[in-house]
Amino acid sequence: MRPNIRPGRIAVHIALVLYTILAIGPIALILINAFKTRRAIFSDPLGFPDARTFTTIGFDQVFTKSDFGLYFVNSLTVTVVSLGLIILIGAMAAWALTEYRFRGNTIIALYMAIGIMVPIRLGSVSILRMMVELNLVNTLTALVLVYVAQGLPLAILILGEFIQQIPRDLRDAARCDGVSEYRIFASIILPLITPAIATVAVFTMVPIWNDLWFPLILAPGDGKQTVTLGVQQFIGQYVTDWNAVLASLTLAIAPILVLYLLFSRYLVRGLTAGAVK
Amino acid sequence: MADVSLHGIAKSYGVTEILRDIDLTIDDGEFVVFVGPSGCGKSTLLRTIAGLENASAGELRIGGKRVNEMPPAERKIAMVFQSYALYPHMSVYKNMAFGLKFAKTNKADVDRRVRRAAEILKLSALLDRKPRELSGGQRQRVAIGRAIVREPSVFLFDEPLSNLDAALRVNTRLEIAKLHRELGATMIYVTHDQVEAMTLASKIVVMNQGRIEQVGAPLELYHNPRNLFVAGFIGSPRMNLIKGQVRSVSGGSVTLAFTGAETSVDVVPGTLRAGDEVTIGVRPEHMADAGANTIALEGRIDAVERLGEASYVYMKLASGDDVIVRSPGDVEAAPGGRYTAHLPGRALHVFNAAGQSVQFGK
Amino acid sequence: MSDITASGVQPAESVSVRSRFPVHVAVFLAPALAIYTLFSIYPLIDTIRLSFYTGDESGARHFAGLANFYTLLTDPAWSGHFWNALRNNLVFFAVHMVVQNAIGLGLAMLLSLPRLTGGSVYRTLLFLPTMLSVVIIGFIWQLMLNPLWGIAEKILSAVGLGSFFGPWLGQETTALITISLISVWQFVGIPMMLIYAALLNIPDDLLDAAIVDGAGPFSVFWFVRLPLILPTLGVVSILTFVANFNAFDLIYAIKGALAGPNFSTDILGTFFYRTFFGYQLQVGSPTMGATVATAMLIIILLGVLIYLFGVQRRLQRHTF
Repeated sequence: MRPNIRPGRIAVHIALVLYTILAIGPIALILINAFKTRRAIFSDPLGFPDARTFTTIGFDQVFTKSDFGLYFVNSLTVTVVSLGLIILIGAMAAWALTEYRFRGNTIIALYMAIGIMVPIRLGSVSILRMMVELNLVNTLTALVLVYVAQGLPLAILILGEFIQQIPRDLRDAARCDGVSEYRIFASIILPLITPAIATVAVFTMVPIWNDLWFPLILAPGDGKQTVTLGVQQFIGQYVTDWNAVLASLTLAIAPILVLYLLFSRYLVRGLTAGAVK
Repeated sequence: MADVSLHGIAKSYGVTEILRDIDLTIDDGEFVVFVGPSGCGKSTLLRTIAGLENASAGELRIGGKRVNEMPPAERKIAMVFQSYALYPHMSVYKNMAFGLKFAKTNKADVDRRVRRAAEILKLSALLDRKPRELSGGQRQRVAIGRAIVREPSVFLFDEPLSNLDAALRVNTRLEIAKLHRELGATMIYVTHDQVEAMTLASKIVVMNQGRIEQVGAPLELYHNPRNLFVAGFIGSPRMNLIKGQVRSVSGGSVTLAFTGAETSVDVVPGTLRAGDEVTIGVRPEHMADAGANTIALEGRIDAVERLGEASYVYMKLASGDDVIVRSPGDVEAAPGGRYTAHLPGRALHVFNAAGQSVQFGK
Repeated sequence: MSDITASGVQPAESVSVRSRFPVHVAVFLAPALAIYTLFSIYPLIDTIRLSFYTGDESGARHFAGLANFYTLLTDPAWSGHFWNALRNNLVFFAVHMVVQNAIGLGLAMLLSLPRLTGGSVYRTLLFLPTMLSVVIIGFIWQLMLNPLWGIAEKILSAVGLGSFFGPWLGQETTALITISLISVWQFVGIPMMLIYAALLNIPDDLLDAAIVDGAGPFSVFWFVRLPLILPTLGVVSILTFVANFNAFDLIYAIKGALAGPNFSTDILGTFFYRTFFGYQLQVGSPTMGATVATAMLIIILLGVLIYLFGVQRRLQRHTF
């Protein structure tokens, strides 16, 4: 402890608690009011639901008037498939770029890095045109392809740095044993990069799950909506039904909330580790 | 210039006691080295003197003034950190001038002091460089320069040589000693390396587990260690320790039995009784030569280290005790062979079962 | 950047050791290169190409040179909206730079205090809004600020600021700032985390040295910590810039594609969307959409280049 710069710890905690309330208060309010009757939402918005005010009518509305379950499955499918492909394909490329010296190595690495700074969104006009030609509009495949292209650059950067830290001897030992390059990748590198997956997940999974733009442009109908788009469309339609609006928001928040609280340790670590490099 | 005195200094974090009941007086102009194994509290003690840690109890005086409540900058101290702690974004000049900015020193004075320090440390050509453009030894000198410009009464060094390679370490050690002579300031120096302690200190403070084990001039500690810890810590290779027993006592003289032999030693009267377990300590360089009063101890050679001017013979005595003998450089010895160590009548250290010297103060 | 020149040299010595472009390297790289090129780089280039064409009613396209850009910047039907969106976008970005980075820095400073009890709990909770969808956040704040529900007014009244409350999202003068602040509220976790990590990276010895040198808490911050986290602030700034000039979801969720009231919350992202898909009676135009996208691309690239060559070079990264 540095006694001479030690500030009033109580003041620090007051500041942090106040800001924490500001940060999670609105979210908490939505969750609390989703389980209350319309009358209670307005008369006592800050109160917890009790026996008199508790209701799940909003949730009933959401489930009868929309395909929320389907949206959820869509989001899950798109996110998981995209993340899986990003990690596999990204690891392969990161491995090739960090392990082998070949003509064009640096240029390819720079080429891949363009995508970190330039948002793929700006190519939407052409992406939509391509998807129309490929007959992929209103399919989850279109979303997966775009998200993989979007997530690859950063994933390659992060995985590349991670692969670099794997001791060289490990691969050279395998080479001395006559193991093929493919097997080295599959049975040595892939298992060793599992810790980096958390980091890659923070940077790729969350933006994919939360995205509105590409679902809106590439898959806005035909029951291919993701949760984000589904909620947006639902609320647009039932904007005056407070119970339904709050319930739909709660349904969108809840899975992320649970996952986040379960894995926040890894996510936060990934984020700070990413910054240290 | 100032003296430093500590009375009953203690430091604890919760229930963990880092320092207990430290009493120490450091005279003006002394070069004091805190030495001890890692975790013994020596760095914490230094940081407490600096004001970077608060003492939980006791009183700390610098130049006769109580400084417990004073921030570091007002204590007239300067500190050289193990990692050098140079500000990476500032030039060498700015690194050295940084502290003076807060002391409200005028520009001309700052410039004069920085240039003088740079001259002393041969840094004049490097003043515009950033720390990352310097070698390890140069960084180390900048760190010392930063201390010098503050013109402190007390210099504090926290293991300043541990990040340097062996050759540079010897050089810098000599430079620090020279600096001490030139500046005449009080210096407190922390190290875990007993060679640094022996070569630099006018007074060594041996610490262990948050306590001071012994304070004294280097040779005093070498020749009269107060207890087993100091005996084992000071000197390289370490003092040989052999188990023994008191056979008989007659006034200040006791007869000890050990590894099949007997010898008489003078001790402080009344400290030992017949039958007491004791540890006999003898330095490796005292065991090579046969003489009038020596006792020959036979053993098998485990290893021989040849340094050129001397050879260290590692051997196991019949009793099972391991001893090291500093023998002549060209001694004929090989692992597996037999060797004879010679236990001298004098230069024996005797410690009681509690590890305390029974000769101390005699 | 210097790597480019180096790459011309490197292969010379490694070619003799390994084959020029081994098959397995191609296999490892092919999937990533294919997907990335096809669905990221090609659309971007095609979009730029498209911005030089116009389409007529029959759907045929003609090369038009810079005519679209000329229209965008000077035609009264377009330029007003474009400049308005650009101006709003700059305001949006400025609010982020000032408020988001200031709060993020402040929180990071508090969180990096040594031995702070409950630090990880604060970190987790403060970062929570960042994890949620922008759309969800937009709706949450729309409800919070809804005068009908009146919850924001009630809370403000509780601390004596009731009279200050207004329908902020509905007023032309306040809507853009309000939306910017909502976005700041959501994303403050990112600068907070990055700066927090950077602060932890500064060795304790350095801060101790500054204290021994006589620096007070403010001086330690101003002369030691701040200069050392400047590179991180640079990274945060460029990330914010790219994200802001590419933003769309929040305004679309709260205000719809028309970015009302009276386009006062229109930024480049919503302008691009309207241009491309059309709105009300206006028919969407892929070529004009591509033109707007290209303009956005140029703005973002300009920002990135200014950062890379103007800012980043001056921000020496420090290794300790």
